[in-house]
Amino acid sequence: MKRELRLEGVGRRYGIHGPWVLRGADLDVTPGTLIRVEGPNGTGKSTLLRLLAGIDAPTEGRITGRPRTAYVPERFPAALPFTASGYLTHLGAVHGLTRTAAARAADEWLERLGAAGYARTPLSELSKGSSQKVAVAQALLAEPELLVLDEAWTGLDAAARAELERAVAERTAAGAAVVFVDHDPRRLSGVPDATYTVIAGSLNRRTDSVTSVVSGPHVVVEAEGPPDAEPPAEAAGLSTSVRRTAPGTTHFTVPESHSDVLLRSLLGARPPWHVVRVSRAHPQDAAESAVDPLHTESRR
Amino acid sequence: MIALLRYQTALLLRSQRWLPPFILYAAFLAIGVQSGRPVLDSLGYSAAAVLPVAAWLVRICATNEPPAARSCVGAAVGPGRAHLACLAVALGAAVLIGVAATLVVTVISDPTSTDHQKRVPVLAAAGAGLLAALVCALLGTAVGALTTWPLLRSPGRAVPAMLLAALLALVVTGSPAHAALTDLITGSRAGTVPAPLLPLAAAVLLTAAAIAAACVFTSRRSA
Repeated sequence: MKRELRLEGVGRRYGIHGPWVLRGADLDVTPGTLIRVEGPNGTGKSTLLRLLAGIDAPTEGRITGRPRTAYVPERFPAALPFTASGYLTHLGAVHGLTRTAAARAADEWLERLGAAGYARTPLSELSKGSSQKVAVAQALLAEPELLVLDEAWTGLDAAARAELERAVAERTAAGAAVVFVDHDPRRLSGVPDATYTVIAGSLNRRTDSVTSVVSGPHVVVEAEGPPDAEPPAEAAGLSTSVRRTAPGTTHFTVPESHSDVLLRSLLGARPPWHVVRVSRAHPQDAAESAVDPLHTESRR
Repeated sequence: MIALLRYQTALLLRSQRWLPPFILYAAFLAIGVQSGRPVLDSLGYSAAAVLPVAAWLVRICATNEPPAARSCVGAAVGPGRAHLACLAVALGAAVLIGVAATLVVTVISDPTSTDHQKRVPVLAAAGAGLLAALVCALLGTAVGALTTWPLLRSPGRAVPAMLLAALLALVVTGSPAHAALTDLITGSRAGTVPAPLLPLAAAVLLTAAAIAAACVFTSRRSA
């Protein structure tokens, strides 16, 4: 049973008479959702994420329902006396894996993020980008139920940035919640289930997020299913648009970061769907998807 | 918790920051303990020095991780548990040093009273020395826990506070460490072996309270 993390009237200030960094925040983090937090620098975004990750306790209000949590800090200057894989094995065990499973997951994640060559390098000798890959890997290797990313993409190379977006898609598809802050407005654009802004210490839900759907790269997956079957619910939920082009043939338009998860859900459906073609969406297709009448129904 | 303890132990051993307190303690013993001296006096001396060593080890363990790495572990297990593991490893290291010192001192010392007139049973003396060392390790851990992150963060205040608190814990009447050491010294004069169980119980309670306070504070103060 996955737990829902709930913030009720949460406020935080540093010191007894310090100013409130965040106040009156209400937020439900439902399993399987992706939440983006926006706001100018120094307005309490990081404080909110630290509260969500359980690193800080609220000064007032309540936080209930702590899931298994992992956190990626903005900077990870880890002057620790371990090699990358040694550190990750320790952290995997701390996250609850056995040591062998932790070591395997450590190697796997370093490889996925393009840092397999640094597995035996002491952390103190890693570049800023490679350190950040270690920080990302420690959070992902134990498949957390809540992933909190505080500008985790900063400092990563392009391949690792894309891999982290795919990892986020995998986590949410597996029923985990992901909360992230990132300065790049195109980051996972069109994907978040909810966007919140933190301005001057107060948290508000943004409702005007429709326009962002068109901006990110999309992929069209053409698949065939049983003639009368509805598209699998999970696949429809991932897609920004689902169009039936012929009896049994359906086009799914999906953000590029989520294409692998979509394919997996189609191939794993009962009965399985047959993937005919995968292609990059033209910008007009994505634009079209924004006004597609099916779009609103297919979104969760 | 076992994984956390392994992680913190590996961190302490690999950082090599344990070397200075260890070497200083060994030097202190080399100067103050000589073979043929009355055993209970020497045990009191070696136990007393465990207290500042324990406080220093706590300071090392609590400041070993950069804040970013501490946050990662804190998110996984809760910052209180992460800090508890760190204090437990420091206490364990101090106890280990105390036990080793007690054994060495017992073996090389003369099993007699201070005036070398009365014989003192060796095993009982070693037991009393172990208890005193344990009291000092516990109290040193309490001193360290209260004078480092998260309660005192700037080293400019934390280090003098730690040294002063460690000194007071040894000399102030009513401190369990002072009581345990007094027991050893008066026992040595009379030629009887004390069992400082009451100081041990008091030290356990005090240290548990100090550790609990420090762990609760981890999520209230910022990194």
